[in-house]
Amino acid sequence: MKFANELTRNILFWVQEKRWLLIIVILGALMYHLPYPDGISHAGYRTLILSMIVISLIITEPVPLPAVALLIAVLEVAFHIAPATEVAKTYMNDSVFFIMGSLMMAVAIVNQGLDTRLALGIIQLTGNKVKHIVLGFTCISALLSSFVGEHTVVALMLPVGLSLVRNCRKNKPIPNLTALILFSIAYGSTVGSIGTPSGGARNAIMLEYWRAITDGGVTLTYFQWIIMAYPMVIIGMLSTTFLLQLAFKPELNSMDTAIRRLKIHVAHKGKFTGNELLTILIFAIVFFCWIFLNERYGLGIIAIGGAFLYMATGLVEWKQVSRDTNWGVILLFAGAISLGVQMKNTGTALWIGESLINQFSPFMEQFSVIPYLLNIFLTTLLSNIMSSSGTVAILGPITLSMGGDPAYMGMTTAISSAFGYFSAIAAPACMIIYSSGLVKMTDFLKAGWRMAIMSTITLLLIYKFYWPLIIGFTNFK
Amino acid sequence: MKFLIAIKNTKEESKNILGIGCKIAEGFSADLTICYIGKQSKALIEGDVNLARKTLAEWNIYHPGLEVLEWAFNILKEKGFAQNSDFDVDNLVEEKGRIRMVLPETTNYQIGLVLREGDLLSELNKEVKYGDFNIVIMGSPHRKRITNKISQFIDTSIFFVKNFNPNWNYKILLCVDDSRATKRAVIFSTRISKQFDAEITSLTVSKTSFFGKGYRNAHAWAERYLKRIGIPFNSKLLSGNPVEVFVNEAGEDHIIIMGKAKGNEILKFILGSKPIHTAQRANCPVLLVN
Repeated sequence: MKFANELTRNILFWVQEKRWLLIIVILGALMYHLPYPDGISHAGYRTLILSMIVISLIITEPVPLPAVALLIAVLEVAFHIAPATEVAKTYMNDSVFFIMGSLMMAVAIVNQGLDTRLALGIIQLTGNKVKHIVLGFTCISALLSSFVGEHTVVALMLPVGLSLVRNCRKNKPIPNLTALILFSIAYGSTVGSIGTPSGGARNAIMLEYWRAITDGGVTLTYFQWIIMAYPMVIIGMLSTTFLLQLAFKPELNSMDTAIRRLKIHVAHKGKFTGNELLTILIFAIVFFCWIFLNERYGLGIIAIGGAFLYMATGLVEWKQVSRDTNWGVILLFAGAISLGVQMKNTGTALWIGESLINQFSPFMEQFSVIPYLLNIFLTTLLSNIMSSSGTVAILGPITLSMGGDPAYMGMTTAISSAFGYFSAIAAPACMIIYSSGLVKMTDFLKAGWRMAIMSTITLLLIYKFYWPLIIGFTNFK
Repeated sequence: MKFLIAIKNTKEESKNILGIGCKIAEGFSADLTICYIGKQSKALIEGDVNLARKTLAEWNIYHPGLEVLEWAFNILKEKGFAQNSDFDVDNLVEEKGRIRMVLPETTNYQIGLVLREGDLLSELNKEVKYGDFNIVIMGSPHRKRITNKISQFIDTSIFFVKNFNPNWNYKILLCVDDSRATKRAVIFSTRISKQFDAEITSLTVSKTSFFGKGYRNAHAWAERYLKRIGIPFNSKLLSGNPVEVFVNEAGEDHIIIMGKAKGNEILKFILGSKPIHTAQRANCPVLLVN
């Protein structure tokens, strides 16, 4: 009796732990045996089921993410969506190399202690005034994250911000000033991450989707991406500074004591060391190669070349790279890209895109902006639930098939995936500042709605007026 | 014995949980482990978050959970636990999906500090299984369903510290019935009563005015035991809905102690049990003895 009770309790515990997995498996099996809808092929319907399984597994996380990546490969073959050799091919491409190289370079850069240099530079630039510090944090986070990636900037800038906030705490609480400083880094790095393909994994994923999914294959160089996206970054960082100060009125106007303490903390660093200079030099080489050689070698090969240089010069050890790089995410993005390619090949992406757009068909002729608005809405919604990179990996093939110019639609998806302002889970910086307990969930909403409206309006204006103006120059199509 | 205290922040509520936990642990001469279970990042951004935490640590800005543990450790020191050891982040070790601080020089009672990230129920269950704890002491969850799951799935005694006021003189409401865990509940109540210098009320409740043999025997056994130990007590036999009677009799100034139910696990999962409902509805600390 005791044994039976214990067994039942263990089974119940397992069931409640894995309830999402069970629900997903049951729904997947049910859908598999249902008659498939009109307008979609048998393989397309199975790809649709697989996509829904993958999205649900990523959101609910009942199994580790690398396991989801493995499941994609297994089910693509088991569902007869594609033969094993083709599945294997779609798992490795230049974008996956790019994500891998960027993450490895981030480990190398972060380990050099450039954060203290950065702190010193910011202090000298901004002085003690709070509004200047906020402007400085937002702009530097945005500009840096455009090139070295959001994840690297977060690791370099957050210690500076958190240290300032801690040194500033006096007898009276300063929740608004705390939120202002921390959000300027979090939102600044998010806004900046759309500026270049190296800003985040999602941009690289979109480049791959353009190449592999669109008819004729849209290609965009590193520099062309900058021309397309950078106005959004510049407007974004300035308006972020303004909107954050509107949302959080700081309790203090200057941070003399905190700045003084920060200076003492970073003063011991002395002059630039050889390693620090070499770190910057290698990144500069990689950056110039991205701009000038990407068509010849591909962004990914250059990125892993950079990672090689960091290891070859001894700036970082393989052990460290191996320990601090999130290999599971690389594997997941590889799987997601493979699924995206199959969604295109089997017509699933087109079917979903058309089904979504058909809901708005009566208004489509008057309002050509509808696919873009729908794109922004879906991407923003999912990035607040699932994180920005995952959103592009999952939604990319669908938004590219929703009508509208694929180049514009892809850019819209990549940019609006950075609009995860409402939740702590969209970006690493948001997660850290939330888990520190220094900002509340309501602070995300307080600042987030302003940021979302501003970003959406800016993006629509850029789509309507700026992109058509420069399309000849970028030779986008 | 080994006690586990789960805390989530440095607020007054956590301080009270630590206070009552330490006092009870003293009574049992138990080893004490403080566990912080924090929210886990989404797996997609976990690597980035960890990378940032590494640089933060170089600036002496540690995981928020470590700050909570340091705060808790200092309180333990004030109370006379772990007087010869220090909180040192260099002594952190990662093992079995958790971070533990090695405190080599603890005297009297062995003190442990553990940091975990993830789902509360799942992580608590892992920690209890790993550490083989006799009692888990924690705040009362806001959601009743969580209380239900914790009571059912954590295979040890659970002490939900709800509305605890350290300045009040608490009495003990010992709920006696014919369940197997009642005897252990009676034994626990005597130890806790000594520690809090609290009077015990032994209460048996039947749904009808008729008290079955099992209830009468259990009630008599509890009386005999309390008499033998020499603790001041009064005993009551009342009729009515047991959960309502327990909650009303306890009010806010009692610590309810009762045995965990051993009924059908599936029914317990769906419908709950008397102890689970009492823990959910009471306005005072509740100890469910396994």
